[in-house]
Amino acid sequence: MSTVTTREAFVHPALFYRTEQEYTQQTVAFLSEGLTNGEPMAVAVPGPNLELIKAGLGGDAEGILFLDMTEAGRNPGRIIPKVLRGFADAHPQGRVRIIGEPIWAGRSAVEYPACAQHEALINAAFEGRAVTILCPYDEVRLDPQVIADAKVTHPTLISGEGRESVSSVYDWQAVVDRYNQELVPAPDAVAFAFGDEDLPAVRQFALAQAMRLGMAGERLMDVELAVAELTTNSVVHGGGHGTLAVWAEQGQLVCEVRDAGRLTDPLAGRRPREHGQLGGRGLMMVHYVADLVRVHTSDDGTTVRFYLSL
Amino acid sequence: MDVPHAVGGPAPVESGRAALEVSPLPGRAGIRARGEISVLTRPSWEQALSELARRHAGVSYVELSDVAFVDVAGVTALAITAMNLPDGRVVVENPPPQLPRVLEMFWPGLDRIEVASR
Repeated sequence: MSTVTTREAFVHPALFYRTEQEYTQQTVAFLSEGLTNGEPMAVAVPGPNLELIKAGLGGDAEGILFLDMTEAGRNPGRIIPKVLRGFADAHPQGRVRIIGEPIWAGRSAVEYPACAQHEALINAAFEGRAVTILCPYDEVRLDPQVIADAKVTHPTLISGEGRESVSSVYDWQAVVDRYNQELVPAPDAVAFAFGDEDLPAVRQFALAQAMRLGMAGERLMDVELAVAELTTNSVVHGGGHGTLAVWAEQGQLVCEVRDAGRLTDPLAGRRPREHGQLGGRGLMMVHYVADLVRVHTSDDGTTVRFYLSL
Repeated sequence: MDVPHAVGGPAPVESGRAALEVSPLPGRAGIRARGEISVLTRPSWEQALSELARRHAGVSYVELSDVAFVDVAGVTALAITAMNLPDGRVVVENPPPQLPRVLEMFWPGLDRIEVASR
């Protein structure tokens, strides 16, 4: 894997590995190339894989930013603004090189659609930029559908032996659409229909329900901030009113806001703002504080829900 | 803004209705706000901040102990006001907890704002 980086602006290969040895060999080769080129580098992968890469690099690991993706990228919706653009924007001179592993065995069925959409949206977020992002996939432990989707979201594919090929099925928009799935509140959800006059009341309702379901401490503030943002969006952009539903499932609090609007920008909430720029931080804040954000949008309306661990 | 004014409903602030009163701080440069800072009270907050910027000399104070909630756009307006000041800083006193949380998220290390916490 040596030549593509110089030809195209944005390079986004998927690496399909089957063993720890393949993983280490290919990621270290990728980073060594960056070292030779003098490129700023970051590695955001699950903890055990971080250790494999660090061990493989030895002394060369110095100067590389290492992040545990299970924390930094717990919510896949914040990986683009916070992890990838966070690093790329901090190094505007020349090409930057990143390893990002957002999908690992153990990602839940609720998380996966947002993970696949994230992988697809990387292509839109970095189009034309001198950035290389290698995404490793565990071919043995991940579901075959995950591997199939990765071939649609990555223009370049790399085998465990380092053989590189062009994906014949690359079509990231198709994956964004496929995982734009209808969301249905849990049967035991409590709901609150709101208009603009009710914004303080719906926030209070969310807080009371979150406390009833066992949320405490700082995360209550995050619930209030995130619900305020989503309900305000409904009032300002989503037809003037909406419905909040709150429930708990699998040890997580879920808050869902439904309105009549349509989300036309697939990168909404994932574009970092300049420090002095007004607006555009609301949905990004929801991505930053939540453990997961799921979105469904169609001509019939938009549903945004966020999950926070209890 | 020499007299208190309210937006979104008549004073006094009632719970459940969004209102914001802003008045000058007695004896110091700056403002005191009461109510909540959200989309419903945005014009009043932004007007108060531009007035604060216009009168700013060195240090301005923003007293928020009677503000129960501020949203991301409200913190953004304050941060941008502070960044655009020619010099000095804004001291925010007793803000609701969302304010330092959002400042840290989007403007970490912004030295134009000093938060004196509750």
